[in-house]
Amino acid sequence: MLKIDKAMDQVTYVSMALFAAIWIVLIAIIVSGAWHFVQTHGFVSSVASFQWDPLQSHFGIGSFIVGSITVTLLALVLAIPGSLALGVLGSRILQGKWQQQFVRFLTVFVSVPSVLYGWWGLTVVVPGIRRLSHTSGYGPLSASIVLALMIVPTFSILSLNALRHVPESYIEGSIGLGASEDQTLWHIILPAARPRIVQAALIAVARGLGETIAVQMVIGGQVRITSLLHPASTLTTQLLTDLPLLPVGVPGHHVLDFMALWLLILMTVIVWLQYRLRGSGT
Amino acid sequence: MMKNAGRDVGGAPDIAVRQLSVWYNQMPALQNINLYLGAGQVMAIIGPSGCGKSTFLRVLNRMIERLPSVRVEGAVRIGHFDVFDDHVDVTGLRRAVGMVFQHPNPFPMTIFDNVAYGPRIFGIKSSAQLRKTVEDSLKQASLWDEVRGKMRRNAETLSGGQQQRLCIARALAVHPEVLLLDEPTASLDPVSSAKIEELIVQFKSHYTMIIVTHNLQQAARVSDVVAFFEQGRLIEMGYTQDIFTAPKEKRTEEFLTGRFD
Ligand SMILES: Nc1ncnc2c1ncn2[C@@H]1O[C@H](COP(=O)(O)OP(=O)(O)OP(=O)(O)O)[C@@H](O)[C@H]1O
Ligand SMILES: [Mg+2]
Repeated sequence: MLKIDKAMDQVTYVSMALFAAIWIVLIAIIVSGAWHFVQTHGFVSSVASFQWDPLQSHFGIGSFIVGSITVTLLALVLAIPGSLALGVLGSRILQGKWQQQFVRFLTVFVSVPSVLYGWWGLTVVVPGIRRLSHTSGYGPLSASIVLALMIVPTFSILSLNALRHVPESYIEGSIGLGASEDQTLWHIILPAARPRIVQAALIAVARGLGETIAVQMVIGGQVRITSLLHPASTLTTQLLTDLPLLPVGVPGHHVLDFMALWLLILMTVIVWLQYRLRGSGT
Repeated sequence: MMKNAGRDVGGAPDIAVRQLSVWYNQMPALQNINLYLGAGQVMAIIGPSGCGKSTFLRVLNRMIERLPSVRVEGAVRIGHFDVFDDHVDVTGLRRAVGMVFQHPNPFPMTIFDNVAYGPRIFGIKSSAQLRKTVEDSLKQASLWDEVRGKMRRNAETLSGGQQQRLCIARALAVHPEVLLLDEPTASLDPVSSAKIEELIVQFKSHYTMIIVTHNLQQAARVSDVVAFFEQGRLIEMGYTQDIFTAPKEKRTEEFLTGRFD
């Protein structure tokens, strides 16, 4: 019995160590590659440049950083009202077993693979934008809409939990003073849930930032970002596009490490914000 | 009532309860309660756990309706409010009938915002007026001296007793006429409890009050009348002195003397 426990412990430790080691190696590869790249091409000049033509040694990734941030933030802005509304519906309007059914319903959408969201974007969003704007329909706006739809289920489940977490005693205090349910929602429940909702938003942002396939299918794949309505790229979609073009060993391959590092940096900022904002909440 | 003859009861209303019954999921929690409480009087409700004391308070401001599968029958009148009338102004009723809970429940905001919450909800915007209301209410709740100059602090930094007085101030800020106090000192230390009791005594005749308490001495100290509940029924109600010295019902006597099963 004891022996088995010990063995299990050892297995756990070993696999944890292995896991950590793999991560460290992965990050080390990215960082050393990026370091290599920065030494030859410069940090600021690559980030600030919007000219991308790796075969001609133009490694400006500014467009992709701007693309990633724009698409992700716009998706967040689009996702906020709907997610909060669904959160309120699932936590404060529906009761008892309907609440559970509602969460189950949302969970189904969380588990829909991203390629299907991309497919839906291709068949609905892109033609829609095309008709409305008289452009190709491919671009950051379409990507944001698809991404927004993709993060709404996760975001609303997390918001729903945040709202459900607000102590009943606050709500009774407010109602007992004569406030209506609506006033209580706006002045007590939403503010009290805000730290957790912000956290939910950041988790949604992290998901959006990393999303590749669904974005790639509708963003158009041009290397220079000009407007929300014209084809562009993000860090992740461009990584995907240029991997076959710049395999290991080819000069310029290390720009991909640099781009990956930028993704890690943006992710780290999100995680850091999450800790910061959670710390200041109730 | 007789006892109040000649006392200034201001706007404090009387409370009349007729044939009140409440069920949770078909299970009776209150059965055929009839009682009358005169304007400006203090009633203490005593009785074993689960006998329906909190339920009774929740009926009076219609908080009971927020619970699922509740059924209420009978009639309750508080001053001019016919509480269960379909056309009654529930917001106005809850404003007039303040409630203080067993566990202090300040909102997660500043001390000032806690007290200003009610007045703001009811549309007061002028900051001078808000400041005056907040100060007056805190003074009334005997908290002003302890928190002046700390208005921007989060209310949750206060001690339990201070939080409870803050909750009283918060209730007073909307100028209620009735105060319902559900075991307001149950979670407090003796010194803080004594302060709350002092307040209740001071408030006497300005507000009609109902206090639920498990502390019989407290009931004896603060109340004019005592109601003894058991298993959802009102067993006995009478002047505090009479109940404590010469209860009419055997069950009451057993409860008061601790010979209760
Ligand atoms: N929300 C509810 N749903 C179902 N039953 C309830 C609910 N609230 C109370 N009850 C039941 O109704 C009865 C009366 O409860 P109530 O809370 O009014 O008692 P109480 O006298 O306040 O007790 P205590 O002294 O423990 O606070 C109890 O049997 C309780 O289990
Ligand atoms: Mg109770």
